[in-house]
Amino acid sequence: MAPFDLSSPMSRSFHARAILGPKLHDQLPNLKVLIVGAGGIGCELLKNVVLAGFGQITLLDLDTIDLSNLNRQFLFRKKDVKQSKAIVAARTASAFNPNVQIKPIHGDVKDPQFDLAWFKGFDVVLNALDNLDARRHVNKMCMAGNIPLVESGTAGYLGQVQPLLKDRTECFDCIPKPTPKNFPVCTIRSTPTQPIHCIVWAKSYLMPQLFGEDEDSTSELDEAEKQGENAQEVANLRREAQAFKSVRAALRSKDKDTSSSAAKMAFQKVFYHDILNLLSMEDMWRFRDKPVPLDFNLIQSDQFILRGQVTSAIDISADSIPRPANEVRGLDGRPNGSPVGSNGSGPSSSTKSGHGLKDQRSLTLRDNLALFALGTERLAARLTTGKEETILFDKDDDDTLDFVTAAANLRSAAYGIPGKSRWEVKEMAGNIIPAIATTNAIISGLIVLQALHLLREAFDSLRNVHAQFKPSAPLSAVKLSLPNPRCGVCRDAYAFLQCDPSRVTLAEVLEDFDDNLHRTLESLNVTKGKFLSIADEDGELEVITLPSARYRESNHPIDGPPMILPDPLPEPGQRVKSITPRPSTPPSMLPRIQKRPAPDGMDEAQPAKRARIAASSNSSPRTSRRLEEDGLILIDGDESVDEDIVVID
Amino acid sequence: MSFNESQSQDIEGATTAIQSQPDSKTRRYDRQLRLWAATGQSALESARVLVIGASATATSILKNLVLPGIGHFTLLDHATVSPADAGNNFFLQGTTSIGRNRAEEAVRLLSELNDNVDACADTRNIADVLASDPSYFLGFSLIITHNLSPVLLTRLADLLWENPSSTPLIPVRSAGFLADFFVQFHTHEIIESHSETSPSLRIDKPFPALLQAARALDFDTMDSTDHGHIPYVYLLVRTLDDWKATHNGLPPQTHADKQNFKSILAAQKRTPDQENFEEAIAQAYRAWTPTVVRPHLVELFNDVTLPSTPFGHLLAALRSFSERPPHVLPLSATLPDMKSDTESYVRLQNLYRAQAAEEREQFRALLPVPLENELVELFVKNAHGVQLLRGARYGALDTAPAKLIMYLDNLTRETATHLALSAWMHSELREHVLTLIPGTELGKKEFSDAFGEIVRAPAADLPNVAAFLGGMVAQESIKMITKQYIPINGYCVVDLVDTWTGVLES
Ligand SMILES: [Zn+2]
Repeated sequence: MAPFDLSSPMSRSFHARAILGPKLHDQLPNLKVLIVGAGGIGCELLKNVVLAGFGQITLLDLDTIDLSNLNRQFLFRKKDVKQSKAIVAARTASAFNPNVQIKPIHGDVKDPQFDLAWFKGFDVVLNALDNLDARRHVNKMCMAGNIPLVESGTAGYLGQVQPLLKDRTECFDCIPKPTPKNFPVCTIRSTPTQPIHCIVWAKSYLMPQLFGEDEDSTSELDEAEKQGENAQEVANLRREAQAFKSVRAALRSKDKDTSSSAAKMAFQKVFYHDILNLLSMEDMWRFRDKPVPLDFNLIQSDQFILRGQVTSAIDISADSIPRPANEVRGLDGRPNGSPVGSNGSGPSSSTKSGHGLKDQRSLTLRDNLALFALGTERLAARLTTGKEETILFDKDDDDTLDFVTAAANLRSAAYGIPGKSRWEVKEMAGNIIPAIATTNAIISGLIVLQALHLLREAFDSLRNVHAQFKPSAPLSAVKLSLPNPRCGVCRDAYAFLQCDPSRVTLAEVLEDFDDNLHRTLESLNVTKGKFLSIADEDGELEVITLPSARYRESNHPIDGPPMILPDPLPEPGQRVKSITPRPSTPPSMLPRIQKRPAPDGMDEAQPAKRARIAASSNSSPRTSRRLEEDGLILIDGDESVDEDIVVID
Repeated sequence: MSFNESQSQDIEGATTAIQSQPDSKTRRYDRQLRLWAATGQSALESARVLVIGASATATSILKNLVLPGIGHFTLLDHATVSPADAGNNFFLQGTTSIGRNRAEEAVRLLSELNDNVDACADTRNIADVLASDPSYFLGFSLIITHNLSPVLLTRLADLLWENPSSTPLIPVRSAGFLADFFVQFHTHEIIESHSETSPSLRIDKPFPALLQAARALDFDTMDSTDHGHIPYVYLLVRTLDDWKATHNGLPPQTHADKQNFKSILAAQKRTPDQENFEEAIAQAYRAWTPTVVRPHLVELFNDVTLPSTPFGHLLAALRSFSERPPHVLPLSATLPDMKSDTESYVRLQNLYRAQAAEEREQFRALLPVPLENELVELFVKNAHGVQLLRGARYGALDTAPAKLIMYLDNLTRETATHLALSAWMHSELREHVLTLIPGTELGKKEFSDAFGEIVRAPAADLPNVAAFLGGMVAQESIKMITKQYIPINGYCVVDLVDTWTGVLES
């Protein structure tokens, strides 16, 4: 190893300097970098950013550490479990190089205090997030502030890194992202056909009903009725909801007898009476398999009869010994004592080997009953001790996971749907994506390299990189696309609106528009950190978006002007009418907001165009779609406005 | 299932037995178990890995093996920590480590990442160990080197290659933004290849119970609910059976036949958009795609040098199984999801399970030696994707000028980068490359780029390249250790100036 042993007296930064060149390298200590997320990618990234020589790092994360993080989030130890990820990560990484300043923030990046002015304090933003909402928010902030952003994500062996810069590249929202799947309320509440329906029911309906806030959950049903769902069915669901009151009371009772029978009471209500009730609606079951009401005592004593089968404990499982076809009636041909768990899907190859994977085994009907009682009792005990007022599902909270697993499986049994193991329920209910150290390492190495390209303004070197886990081509790297000309996020013109939202009126912002508009921005929900979008209703001009922010000068006098508009005022660009060929040369890096005479449109001297004003804290791909999705409210005179979006006449 | 044994357990008894809380190890590894399951985890936990050289790249690789929980690692390095090391290696204690032994310092910090991993620092000089104690290297299940000098690396690679136990070796080389790595092994047995193709449903060769069940359905007397819930498997089996009866026992052959077959299916619909029939039409290719043994398996069956390992015995049994009619692999018990009511689906599933269980027993009877049930089941379940890879000796490519010349034409940047790395430790880069491929024109841009990078930053271990390589090399190590997934076959060449990876197959 001698020839490669660099033992001559050299500074710690020798390597970094040799590679980055003295110019960029000398800048690094002064560059301000924001890392959003201190999870799997975030930990890796923080290490890489420190080693690369960045001197001023802000690390923001909302989460606390869980034991299941430790297989990859290497800045955390077992003793750190339940502490703030940002704070612990910053402490661990600081020990490596005390000259680097790492500022941890335990908070939500969508919090209004992190407004555009705050974002603009960074030279580059690195996303290490795991949810779409926060990603889109950071993207919008970086587009508004013209801050270079590197976006990233991993799922199992797959990963992606995407550098983003306003006007130069696509933004995160130039290509619409699929929205998470929603199930119709009646499928969840009365006619489930898949395990996921029962899991969603247990997690998002039953848990909140029993252990959540005491609120009337009728709005969902009102909505369902409006959507044209079966009125009788909805009325029935309403009655069902009312009957939760007594169960809720029993679960919270300090009287020991009452509380110990609460689990059985809950069971009887949801798995017996509610199902009986549903069965009374004959129409509903004309083309569907009928559910079977479950009997607590009979299941417990293994004498329950499900779909014509006396299910005393026959010592076989459907997995090993098949039964003659004509005897098997659905799931329930299996005895109580044999698994309801699924076969074939998930890591079933692992179910046979030991290694403590207890929660991967299939649960019998009686197992599920016992687990339901146990989970309910444990959750009720947490409520009665007064430590918690409400309990919601958390995949890392074993009591809630047990409860949801058991409740979902019991419901599945009643409806003749295959059950799931606790392990599988955790994945489905918790939206768990497998995560490993190797992919995170690959991705975070690439993030910093792309960030350096951005900072060097080496735009030709930027790549959209995918780690694709193919033995023949581990990485795929493509040049970046130009912005989607119809993007509602990065094609907007942005201008800083420094203001006091409690004093500024819409009219003051849009002097020449309708003089009825004396609502303050605050009353229109355009508060700090929000965006005020001015759209041309004829659709000919690009949207102008004004991110509302605190005053730049911290000593802005309280009686000073309530807002400071940018000078010059932004001009909306001409809207692209239809799909036009993308320009062959990248657009100029100059800000798009320039002083030029306005031929038409939003100029103050012109007669008012109808303008739409949108205040939003999130973003979506197309402006028109965004407005529609968010819901447009037409205001007439001084009627109260409680929505985010208004249209001014 | 302990629950079957006692009939009258009260709920308290039941709840104590049901405590399904996973232990802390399962919780820690939850996210990775969802990828490689307990079989992979157990392989990792029994692995003994030797890493030679405690550079930033080497410790990055190790970090990614320690976190998921390998059983043991040894870090071998006699060098002391330099100030440059302290600046780029996160697993040293900054300037405090300067002057101390690199292996000892790094092992101390790496061990903190996971209590379950047994770690050891070896401060001997690799040159001395190779000379005095070559058997030392044979005690490991995997060896990784980073920027080991060519002379020592060749000696180590030869030692491992020539030993029958053939411990896999992964030599990693990196210079600035360029790198390559290689996995040396003789044979690599993979049962769980996580193949993306699914096993055959045998629509074209239905087993008797399936054909009988499909024929027994009386479509005419069914009400519209039942008719709308007939699983497409039955629809295909039955329609194909009818077809064969009028086509000399042959499935649809021509394009016209296939269209015709689809319209026969469509004609049986009662409503225009009946989902189960739509599925049958979409899956109709299963009727004319013959269930055969895949080419990669045929190749393996023809291989007369099957190892006399359990895997070899399993392959031999698989060959015997497939030599008998109907010349297929044992049936898989897994059914895909399909439009059906629960009752019909479970009935169909039970038909497949019964047949699969029977064939598994037939397969077991063909084994030359008895093997554990668990292994047999795992093998049968994954039979369609099992692999036996044969690797190459490290450096073989550099002594095959004809192959290098061919690669230089087709994979220019990969080959140029690989050659530059091979030449790097020699004083004259270009002259060394010319010794490997005499008479080659080195004027190509790819060569000047690669040479330029290596001259600019010869031994610089850039932290972000190290991080990247740490992930890539650890991933290949995990594939080798768990014997799951297909490893990269050959040299993986990396250029992070231009952001690309390529593979030069050996
Ligand atoms: Zn965009």
